Amino acid sequence: MDAERFAVLYDRYSPKVFQKCIGMTRDRDLAKDLTHDIFVKVFLNLSKFDHRSKFGTWVYSITYNYCLDTIRKSKRLREEEIDERTEEGVPMDESSEAQLLGLRAERLDHVLKEIEATDRAILLMKYEDELSVVDMQDALGLGESAVKMRLLRARERAMAKYAELYPEEL
Amino acid sequence: MSENPFKIIRSTDQPPESLRKEVVSSVKFLMLMMRFVQLFVADFSLALFDKVRKADGGDAAQTKPRK
Repeated sequence: MDAERFAVLYDRYSPKVFQKCIGMTRDRDLAKDLTHDIFVKVFLNLSKFDHRSKFGTWVYSITYNYCLDTIRKSKRLREEEIDERTEEGVPMDESSEAQLLGLRAERLDHVLKEIEATDRAILLMKYEDELSVVDMQDALGLGESAVKMRLLRARERAMAKYAELYPEEL
Repeated sequence: MSENPFKIIRSTDQPPESLRKEVVSSVKFLMLMMRFVQLFVADFSLALFDKVRKADGGDAAQTKPRK
């Protein structure tokens, strides 16, 4: 593939990649750097694209993972800290989902700015991009229970942050 | 039913125009490096095998098993 053909791919996918990076990092300058690196990564890994999924899905899974890795490295977050609950048989907690989706947009925006980036990322995958659990498993390279557990924790932490920011609402 | 608030706050920013140039330049640079590495590695292995063949040929003549 030559650079001009690659530019066509860039034109097609860069707006969404950039927007996802902004959503996950809340930082326009960082999102620009991440978008650059993601497209370099896409170029270097083009031969590994196996056509099992749509090309866009593959690009977005690189986006999620690269953003998450960068966020983790920059904040030196420990994976799955201080939560001892098992990942087996995680029930879908619909009440916390309904609560989260019932928030006013500007308050949700505030909450998302305040929570950990890893929680924000998984919530955006689920509720903004509306990825299925299976798609999230593929994108994150995790099992079903792990994805559900991360979602559950992210929702709980988001609602806890909401309670902290807006105590009068409770 | 109320609208999903995640959709309302979704970013609609477009990537800066300069980013396209940066990405294309990086890709061109990578292509150049890959071509360079490809040529260097190809020549290197060719030269290596050439030497191996010569050395082997020379040794084989010298160490021919005696009957």
